[in-house]
Amino acid sequence: MRRLLYLIGALAVAGLLAGAPASAATKNVVIGFTASQTGKLNVEAIRQINGLNLWIEQVNEAGGVKLPDGTVLKFQAKFYDDESKKERVQELYTKLINQDKADFLISPYSSGLADAAAVIAQQYNKILISAGAASDSTYKKGYTLIFQVYTPASRYLTGALDLLAKMDPAAKKLAVIHEKDKFSTDVVEALKKYAEGKGYQVALYEGYEPGTTDFAPFINKIPAGTDAILGGGHFADTSTFAKQLHEKGVKAKMVALLVAPPEPKFAELGEAAVGVIGPSQWEPLATTYNQETAQKLNLPFVGPSVAQFTQAYQTKYKEVPSYHSAGGYVAGLLLGEAIRQAGSTDTAKVKEALDKMDLLTFYGRIKFDTAKEHGLQIGHEMIYTQWQKDAQGKLVNQLVWPEAFKTADVQPYRVK
Amino acid sequence: MRPWARLGFWLPLGAVFVWGLVVLLLREDTLRETTFTLMMFVGMASSLNILLGYTGYVSFGHIVFFGLGGYFGFYLLSQQGLWLLPAAVGGGILSGVLAGLLGLAVLRLRGAYFALATIGINEAARAFVSNFGPFGGATGLFVNFQAYQAYGGAGPALWTTFMYLWLVTLAVLLVSALVQGSRFGLGLMAIREDEDAAMVMGVAAPRAKTIAFMLSAFFPGIIGTLYFFKNGNVEPGDAFQLHMSIEALVMIMLGGQGTVVGPALGAVVYQGLRGYLLTSPLFKSLHLAMAGLFLLLIVLFVPAGAVGWLRHRFPRLRKVLT
Repeated sequence: MRRLLYLIGALAVAGLLAGAPASAATKNVVIGFTASQTGKLNVEAIRQINGLNLWIEQVNEAGGVKLPDGTVLKFQAKFYDDESKKERVQELYTKLINQDKADFLISPYSSGLADAAAVIAQQYNKILISAGAASDSTYKKGYTLIFQVYTPASRYLTGALDLLAKMDPAAKKLAVIHEKDKFSTDVVEALKKYAEGKGYQVALYEGYEPGTTDFAPFINKIPAGTDAILGGGHFADTSTFAKQLHEKGVKAKMVALLVAPPEPKFAELGEAAVGVIGPSQWEPLATTYNQETAQKLNLPFVGPSVAQFTQAYQTKYKEVPSYHSAGGYVAGLLLGEAIRQAGSTDTAKVKEALDKMDLLTFYGRIKFDTAKEHGLQIGHEMIYTQWQKDAQGKLVNQLVWPEAFKTADVQPYRVK
Repeated sequence: MRPWARLGFWLPLGAVFVWGLVVLLLREDTLRETTFTLMMFVGMASSLNILLGYTGYVSFGHIVFFGLGGYFGFYLLSQQGLWLLPAAVGGGILSGVLAGLLGLAVLRLRGAYFALATIGINEAARAFVSNFGPFGGATGLFVNFQAYQAYGGAGPALWTTFMYLWLVTLAVLLVSALVQGSRFGLGLMAIREDEDAAMVMGVAAPRAKTIAFMLSAFFPGIIGTLYFFKNGNVEPGDAFQLHMSIEALVMIMLGGQGTVVGPALGAVVYQGLRGYLLTSPLFKSLHLAMAGLFLLLIVLFVPAGAVGWLRHRFPRLRKVLT
């Protein structure tokens, strides 16, 4: 009998605790997303979630976001594994919205998956911040609630041409060899247009199938006197391509390839990595994104500094953050900032705040297109890195473009 | 006895009919999405079963018809402005015709050779599409979000797509059941048991196999169009995923090949399990290992599939489970 009384007592206390409002003015904001925890995209996708989780942890520790009416917002992530496959993306996003009551959404990693999620987000009137998805085409579909964090594919390699013009104004002849998938094709199509507009001659324009391991047929086709070789695709194929360019002793003033060169692992190619240029969304060395620059540009600076972010990320995850990590963090940061500016979690108000947003973060400038291609990232710039040998002959990845970020002068790939 | 005079004929059809109807009446979006994934695989597995289960030809290329038919249907829809239903049927017809042409060539191969040839077809189809201009090449095709307005907005469009998928799934099961109970179906099963003997007994094997191949290819083309329409875009990488072909095979084996209920049951159990494990807080990180474990247990202990086992264990059920 006594035991029963204890039990009833305990239940009553528990009931009171559960029933009592935790704190009248605290509200949980659920950020929903799917992430490729397994499957072919898992490395990049996990870094992206790590970045986002770091932001959630920091913002909650700092007391959350305060709204004008005194409500304090705390953030919480809710996510499922999409196995890097599109099949279940829509199912899972519908579940996140309807059952898990997600207030805001972050896109899955990669453009294909993000596209499928965007349909659902727009349909349910939810804001989706797309991180890790660079394709331009998502923003040509008439969405109004999808906002892109990455510099779009169409501007991945155009900066390399500006760099080439600076290196050697006489350079004219280009060879473009790219992976035949959505992302890389989008990149080189825009590149070709840009190059022809600037008076360059695209002497070779070839695509290779995903999974190609022998690039000899393509390398042999590179015409003599080519000034720059541009293209590539994803990590594995681009690394092999760079290696074979080196082995074949190809001469060019510039070699600029997608995705692989900014990765630290690219250094494993040794000599073959020397001189290779790659576009990156963000680099820990790009410390120019700071308060001072913001003042010069007359923009507000929001969030941690590059050093603070890198340090916090390294402490938590024991690895150097990549641009995927930064992208995930910034997706959260932007959302938090937009909510703060809107003073509400209402979709229409937050959308308006995002539309108006023009600011600088450690990741770079953020501004969205609000006209024809709504949500497209137009503020953020790519940074170009180049593998160079330091005085001791060790490989280091330097920033060579844009001018403002330069940590070293650009060197020609191989001319002799 | 006519096939439709048996209770077993109506069981899978009735079950899917009620299932879809319940979803349509409840109007619950999450339920619709879950059901869409499940029904899609019921349709895929059941259509493959017409070839694999009845005729005994193992095809790894089933996804080609999903991909290519879906691509064509999506092309009709997004580039030619066709309405969803005719576009989807167009995709199905293309798949069927393609299977007819392919069948003439590859159905002469038997056993492992046929299986290998179908893998080759998958790769060839992907390479073709990523180089084919009208299909958008490597970047694929997409529809503007506004396209859904023609169906009353994105929400109603998803419901319409679901309804079509439900009808297609019913059609697949109906065709599967009709084939099973027909003289044509008996011919296919004779081919499965011994092709040479069947030909001696008067089964026109090449023609029967080609028709079975075409029937099994028609429906994935429709399903593909519906699925890509719902996603809003299509890319070569998404359209020709070999793993989906393999999963369809697994579902058939799981449920019981050569039966009408088996593949449908296998699809629901396999995909249902995958979906549950993916979202359950307990197994969320272990789902692939769990799915693999279940599969191993089933293959080890119930090789004839669930329906095969039930039919063997409880002979009375043979009338009901066809």
